[in-house]
Amino acid sequence: MSDELDEIQAIFFEECTEGLVTAEQGLSAMQGGDVSAETIAGVFRAVHSIKGGAGAFGHADLTAFAHKFENVLDEVRGGKIAPTPGVVKVMLASFDLLSDHVEAAKGLAGRPNDAAALAALEKVLVERGAGDGAPAAAPVAAPAAAPAPAPAAAEDDFGFTPVLVSLDDFEAPSSASSDGAWVIRFKPSQAALANAGEPLLIIRELETLGATIEAVDVTTVPPLRDLDPENAYFTWTLSMPADVPENDIRDCFDFVAPDSVIEIERARTESAADPFDFAPISAPAAEADEMGFVPVSALIENFDANIDQVVQAIANAGAALAAAPPPAPATEAAATPKAVEAAQTIRVDLAKLDLLLNLVGELVIRNSILADRLSPADRQRVELPELARLTRQIQDNVMSLRAQPIKQAFSRVPRMLRDLSVETGKTINLETSGETTEVDKGVIEKIGDPLTHMIRNAADHGLESAQERIAAGKEPAGTIWLSAEQKGARIFVRVRDNGRGINRERVRAKAIEKGIISADAQLTNEEIDQLICAPGFSTAETISNISGRGVGMDVVRSNVEALGGRIEITSVPGEGTTFTMVLPLTLAILDGMIVRLASQRFVLPLTHVLETVQPEPGQVKRTSPDTEVIDMRGEYVPVKRAVDIFGLNDDRAIEESLVVIVESEGHGKVGLVVDTIDDRREVVIKSLDQNLHPIRGLGGATILGDGSIALILDIEALVAASATRFTPKGLAA
Amino acid sequence: MNTETTNTDCKIVTFILGHQTFGIDMTALIEIREWENPTPLPNVPGFIKGVTNLRGNVIPVVGLAERLGWEPSAIHARSCILVVNILGKQAGFLVDEVNDIVAINRSEIQPAPEVETIESSVIDGLVRITTRAKDGTRDENGTMVLLLDLDALSLTKHLDLAA
Repeated sequence: MSDELDEIQAIFFEECTEGLVTAEQGLSAMQGGDVSAETIAGVFRAVHSIKGGAGAFGHADLTAFAHKFENVLDEVRGGKIAPTPGVVKVMLASFDLLSDHVEAAKGLAGRPNDAAALAALEKVLVERGAGDGAPAAAPVAAPAAAPAPAPAAAEDDFGFTPVLVSLDDFEAPSSASSDGAWVIRFKPSQAALANAGEPLLIIRELETLGATIEAVDVTTVPPLRDLDPENAYFTWTLSMPADVPENDIRDCFDFVAPDSVIEIERARTESAADPFDFAPISAPAAEADEMGFVPVSALIENFDANIDQVVQAIANAGAALAAAPPPAPATEAAATPKAVEAAQTIRVDLAKLDLLLNLVGELVIRNSILADRLSPADRQRVELPELARLTRQIQDNVMSLRAQPIKQAFSRVPRMLRDLSVETGKTINLETSGETTEVDKGVIEKIGDPLTHMIRNAADHGLESAQERIAAGKEPAGTIWLSAEQKGARIFVRVRDNGRGINRERVRAKAIEKGIISADAQLTNEEIDQLICAPGFSTAETISNISGRGVGMDVVRSNVEALGGRIEITSVPGEGTTFTMVLPLTLAILDGMIVRLASQRFVLPLTHVLETVQPEPGQVKRTSPDTEVIDMRGEYVPVKRAVDIFGLNDDRAIEESLVVIVESEGHGKVGLVVDTIDDRREVVIKSLDQNLHPIRGLGGATILGDGSIALILDIEALVAASATRFTPKGLAA
Repeated sequence: MNTETTNTDCKIVTFILGHQTFGIDMTALIEIREWENPTPLPNVPGFIKGVTNLRGNVIPVVGLAERLGWEPSAIHARSCILVVNILGKQAGFLVDEVNDIVAINRSEIQPAPEVETIESSVIDGLVRITTRAKDGTRDENGTMVLLLDLDALSLTKHLDLAA
């Protein structure tokens, strides 16, 4: 059981993560000026479900904080608090704390100090009343449950602000006493236990709100021989103090099985005779005036739908009271069921997808082995191309399962830029495009940091201050463009700014000063631009806390290269700089050049390959008995032979070989002497440590079309090892 | 050695390395394959012959004789690879010849004398089995089988140190 609960809790945390992403996107949109009802409702729903789940799992701190946050969101949703920049700022800060609370609930962090944020939220709640010019409204909120979320929302959606006014009028009776205590009847679905809808948890949650169990109906329990211990048979009747908001009660039932019966109604008391007493509070009460107490007892097939019914009922009641024409259908009511439909997804363990991807990789390999073994005539028969086509389709589909829109990585940028705006005092516009480009989940997870660095760099170094911009004849506000696009098997993520561009003079001077290049080095503009990615390079005249610690861009470069990607920099002085991350679509497949080193096949990751040359006699020169260089148009590039790398014997003359110039981060270019280049193809990466352990100099292995294994060279390690030579062992043969 | 578990019968696979007969627990065996040259690996100890493709898995091929301190096996027609599972990792052992699958009684296992190979601990014990001779009659004298403790081969640990 506890395992199961853990599993469910794990799902809850996943949902929290998703909810937080949704909430942040919504809040960012709000700060960007989008205060549409849908956006606000989206944030509200996200926070609301986090709260609901947290309650069910007993994360009291998280629940309490989410509750307060939700209250404010609800007021904003109801139009009682205007989403002014100040309010949105408080909400963004609260969002951060909510994230911290979720981390704490996961046990990954300590309980955050939320006192300040709670106070800020409370302040927003209280000031709302003052802003409305109705100071009485704030006290109403807590005791009377009057502005309970659903009615509030309804009022807004339907434009029935008059209901709110009437609420103030009836403040006294509704907040008065134990009059109209709630009566809750709860009959869980028979399958509740099987669906992990443990009624006990719900009952306990209700009890924490102050509910007491009045009666338990056990008449529905069948005779022992018919009893299925997995079924839920009881029906509970509980009473709840009148001052508990109806929505808080409803929240307890957020996660019950769909066919449970839940009735929540006000107990009838003398004061209920006053027809307006309950009017603004709930639908049943409203209906009671006219029809004589009809409780809301709908099967909860869809809780949202049910809320919509309630909303509709309230709207009708409101219409009757205000003698207004029936309202038009609410936008939210229409949107909610659609959203539910669109989210027809299942959760799959990532490891299962990885396994599937591996198996498909095998299938592709077997396919080409099969093709190799067949006679050319047989190869042309329709079955084989068909099989190959199907296999390729399966592979594409499996890859697409892991693909996620890059939006996930982009979503944190707007907020970051807002913070940067404040820190730097620059006004920065952001324009994004291509957010829907799909990339492997593993890639998305890993580009977050490089992206952050690039954005910070653009905001801090790239864009000028407003005065500088005006002096240069530009608009005072700088713009950063963030875009993603797919070209073939690569994803291009660009960060472009319209700032000052790279000051090559200064970069060059700095590189010389830092000893990265020699004073007389002849560098092209592109090479100078690349210098900003060199380790330990930083041109910022003052070290700000945004960037300029000299670790930024080289970290970006190494991160991107670790993903099998590369960084391209283009810059036009005075017009701006563009950083482009060129990334592979997936981490499981590598674009490789298949070469032979001492007759053995190896895979060179294509991202590192710059060019290949057939050396002319005399082009390769010895600089010591053990070291050689190749003259590349005046640039002397160190040359490595197979023997240097792996101790493989190779007596081939250099003129019969090819030299592949590869580039590594931090160690520059190296020429690799290979016998021949066999092929260029995508290979499925198999890790060596699955059955052995990682080996220095190798990035893994792959299985070629004939079933044999080719080792994938780790260029970084190979080149780095050139200083401390490998001690070859075991390859004497 | 452990008297508590004496009565359980177990099956062993016997194979030949040089002139010795070795045995491993049948449950560790995944499959037996024909010898085929593995892809050599750089920067690994000499007894790692390389890696080979086992149905899409890249597995190391180990010269078991060298690992145990004997003369390296020469490759011949009956050379084969015993693919075994050691603590969740797969590895192939180059052996000279696979003999048989035999049921033994754990109580018959005798401790191996100390200082047998470089690390005596890799020999779990010695057991006498009766084998069928070529003509089908029983060889009454039996053969001594050296039972290998696969976990103690600590293939990957050893490699980690070497790397």
